[in-house]
Amino acid sequence: MVVATGMGRYLALLALVVGPAVAAAPRMLIVAGLGGEPGYASAFLEQAEAAARAAESIRAAVTVLTGEDARAEAIRAALADIAPDATNDLVLVLIGHGSYDEEHYRFNVPGPDPTAGEIAEWLLRVPAKQQLVVLATSASGAAVDTLEGEGRAVIAATRDGSERNAVVFGRFWVAALQDGRADVDKDGRINADEAFRFAEQAVAAHYEEAQRIATEHPRRVGRTERFALAALAEHGLAAALGDPALAPFVARRDELLAAIDDLGETKRDYLEEDYFARLQELLLELASVERRLEQP
Amino acid sequence: MRRLAALVAIIAVASTGAASIDQCRSLEFDDREAAKVCFEALLADSAPAVRAEAAWALDEVAVASAAFRAAVAAEPMRADIRVRWGELFLEARNAVEAKALFDEALELDPQHVPAMVGLARVALGGFDVRAEAIANEILETEPGNHEARLILARLALEADDPARAEGELEGVLAADEPRIRLEAFALRAAMDHLADRAPSPWEARTMALYPGYGALYETIAHFYIITRRYREAIAQLERAVAVDPELWTAYGTLGMNLLRVNRFEDAYRMLTRAHDGAPYNVEVVNALRLLDDVLAGWEPQASDGLLLRIDPLESGALASYATDLTTRALAVVGGRYAYRPDQPVVVELYGRHEDFAVRTAGVPGIGILGATFGEVVVMDGPSARGIDDGFDWASALWHEIAHVITLGATNNRVARWFSEGISVLEEWQTGPSRFRVADHPPGRRAVPVNVIEAHREAKLLPVADLDEGFIRPRYTGQIGVSYTQAGLVCEYIALAHGRDALVHLLAAFADGQDTGAAIETALDLQPGDLDSAFAAYLDDRFADIDTASFRAAAAQAHGSAEAGNWTAVVEAAERAIASYPFFVDQMSPYPILADAEDRLGRRDRAVVAARTYWQAGGRLTTPLSQLVRWLTESGDLDEAIAVQRALALVAPLNRDHRADLGDRLLAHGAAREALGEYSAYRSLQPHDQANAHYRLARAHFALAGTEAARREVLLALEIAPSYTDALRLLLDINAAANETADP
Repeated sequence: MVVATGMGRYLALLALVVGPAVAAAPRMLIVAGLGGEPGYASAFLEQAEAAARAAESIRAAVTVLTGEDARAEAIRAALADIAPDATNDLVLVLIGHGSYDEEHYRFNVPGPDPTAGEIAEWLLRVPAKQQLVVLATSASGAAVDTLEGEGRAVIAATRDGSERNAVVFGRFWVAALQDGRADVDKDGRINADEAFRFAEQAVAAHYEEAQRIATEHPRRVGRTERFALAALAEHGLAAALGDPALAPFVARRDELLAAIDDLGETKRDYLEEDYFARLQELLLELASVERRLEQP
Repeated sequence: MRRLAALVAIIAVASTGAASIDQCRSLEFDDREAAKVCFEALLADSAPAVRAEAAWALDEVAVASAAFRAAVAAEPMRADIRVRWGELFLEARNAVEAKALFDEALELDPQHVPAMVGLARVALGGFDVRAEAIANEILETEPGNHEARLILARLALEADDPARAEGELEGVLAADEPRIRLEAFALRAAMDHLADRAPSPWEARTMALYPGYGALYETIAHFYIITRRYREAIAQLERAVAVDPELWTAYGTLGMNLLRVNRFEDAYRMLTRAHDGAPYNVEVVNALRLLDDVLAGWEPQASDGLLLRIDPLESGALASYATDLTTRALAVVGGRYAYRPDQPVVVELYGRHEDFAVRTAGVPGIGILGATFGEVVVMDGPSARGIDDGFDWASALWHEIAHVITLGATNNRVARWFSEGISVLEEWQTGPSRFRVADHPPGRRAVPVNVIEAHREAKLLPVADLDEGFIRPRYTGQIGVSYTQAGLVCEYIALAHGRDALVHLLAAFADGQDTGAAIETALDLQPGDLDSAFAAYLDDRFADIDTASFRAAAAQAHGSAEAGNWTAVVEAAERAIASYPFFVDQMSPYPILADAEDRLGRRDRAVVAARTYWQAGGRLTTPLSQLVRWLTESGDLDEAIAVQRALALVAPLNRDHRADLGDRLLAHGAAREALGEYSAYRSLQPHDQANAHYRLARAHFALAGTEAARREVLLALEIAPSYTDALRLLLDINAAANETADP
């Protein structure tokens, strides 16, 4: 199954709003590997589809490979096709079982299992300068060192290759993409950093509540916050962002957000009282602008 | 004369180049320095077993242990060396290694009496019922064995049977071996102390025989400790180290007991001295690690009459609940038994069970979950063991505070069974998870099925012997049965003789009476008559309960639930409930009945089942969460809040429970309580920190705390400037502040 959606005006405006630290919507390849048994197979498929739906909410171009289509060669080919230029970021999400033989991490798919080294080689040929690899599989921590690199962040479900049990990380990862509580900066979107932290906490709570020793400890390396993965449906400003009459307010809103960001960067230069006074000043104006943007 | 003997021994050492271990030991009674010189000479002996004994005598435990290892390797078939090595471990409070060595010795020689004595002492130290059997076995092999008599005397004294102890000691007091005589004297002295005859004439006799015999006071202290009179024990241990400044075990015990009375600095000093002298005492090492690695990072929180110690990571979520529970328990239970502590109550909640175990007993692996040392309560917190694993920490804290009352009211002289009985009764009748089913006798909590069966099988102990059920259980589950039995005895006494009878019993215990005398004084009954009346009461209380049918139906209901056959679940669960109503412990049919009814579309019936479960004291989180949801959906918001309160209390580290309760309370106009819940939620480090600050801001704003609200909302917006709801709240806060400022 291949799903592809183009970028629209909504996304362009959203990127404008959130400022320079965050890139345009990424190109995304989501792969659901072999389940081994029906329960896992259907769970991996559902998670892949949920991650794809979330990506559609930010108008990302998404390719999904599942079942027999999710062979190593298909993954390689999809990576070559999905990001033909360096403009967009690339997000690769692997959901399923992984293995580690003390030398190589392998992602379990029909046919030969690709190793972390092979995946890294395929990614090197992708022009996208900023890449994120999400490994929602067992033993995936073993792949992190191989996959990480300049401009490439990696998120893995496990600390290392010794955590070999099937993981629940994938379930909570896709849950984060649909849950407003994951949106810690309340910008209406879930980025990879937010999703990781939400899933990490949920995994820990899962094992704690089940009174079981945790057999997976998610880890990440690199700058994950720049990768937007989902937009929350309930965020109210989307409609206003496309209205030319409101453009001055949108522009002012962006200026204020940038000013707040700058203020945060220089917080240590202020007395605490002065810092919060200045922050409040900016926020009160931002609140007024947002109120104006919310009015029909 | 003694000096002369010492001199002779030293001359012997000098002239022959080496004395024997026994010769060196004989010097210890008169001239410790001479004994040291004697032992030091033996450190170079060619026999490793001799070197081991010498090193042990010089407190070089590691050297001694290594030498014993070499001795065993050189002579693997000698049981006696393994026994001595085991005794070294026993002295170092390492019962596991000690037992292994005694067992090995018995494999080599099944009739080896010192090995059997060693095993009996291990059992004695672990309050294991086998100690008596082993001692009797030794006497069958060797009828004149004094060590076995000493063990039986200790057991008798621990079971509060001084007459039997005196009988066991009769022939031992005149034993040839001074070491045996001294131990017998010490037990006689302890007997006098337990009977309030202190100082005992046996103390002077002991000191006359061996002025440096600090073990005398250690022995007396042991019996004060097991009768929970820690301050008296501390005084004796201080005497022990005064007469024998190198009695490292006494320093260790002193340190542990200073901890029990909340004298942390003194305890640390004593434990350090114990460690300096004997670095391999497991209890001491564990206690010092606990103090250095765990408790050093805990900031005690003092409030009116209460000192809390809680893991800082959990303090924000637990402190207010712990304070509230303790304060209420002191008022409610203290009021019912006419006692109020005159010293601050200390409550320590441990996030790791093994830390609690070390705090309580010096070693990990103990089965209890809470302990009270006078005014000091130490217990597992909810993260050590959760409610869905059967541990209701809030009810357990109530239980322990009831101990503070009964121990305090009697100067720690209350019988164990009665103190436990009152605590259990108060859990049932006044505690946070008490039984409160409408139109049903208050406090008549359904008890575990095995208690009913123990009663029907005549396995409940007579009340005068009930303490043994706690100290040395004789069948699996007897400790739990004894707790419940004690609660039921107190329930019966209150019903048959009035609640004042319980207060009168406490007064009798405070006068130093034992169980039999206290019952006669307070109830005007012989203990046997109380047993008969109690048995009749249980016959009546359990009359309609069919435990076999209950077990079968409950198992069937759970099996049907696993198979997803909800109609069958309902049928079996209802049969189980008919066989034993209001049962809410493990295998309770109510949660699955509620779930099955809901799945079958019968929400009203589901609510009735879940509500009954809650009111009867059931606290598993899944059925309570379901009940909250159902009550909310049906608009029964007051009851939903009540259940949500119970849920948050028993699972206080669950972020969702705390935040949900805060939301409900705030919506219901209870902003002050909501603020507490939101503070707890924030302390639990939720993923969404901006939202946590926003919630706090809303609660503060509802309480007209404009500046606190402003602070919190700014913290929320600092994290998430685009947070629309928070921006709106900031505008509202600003408007409210401006309104207040404008005349």
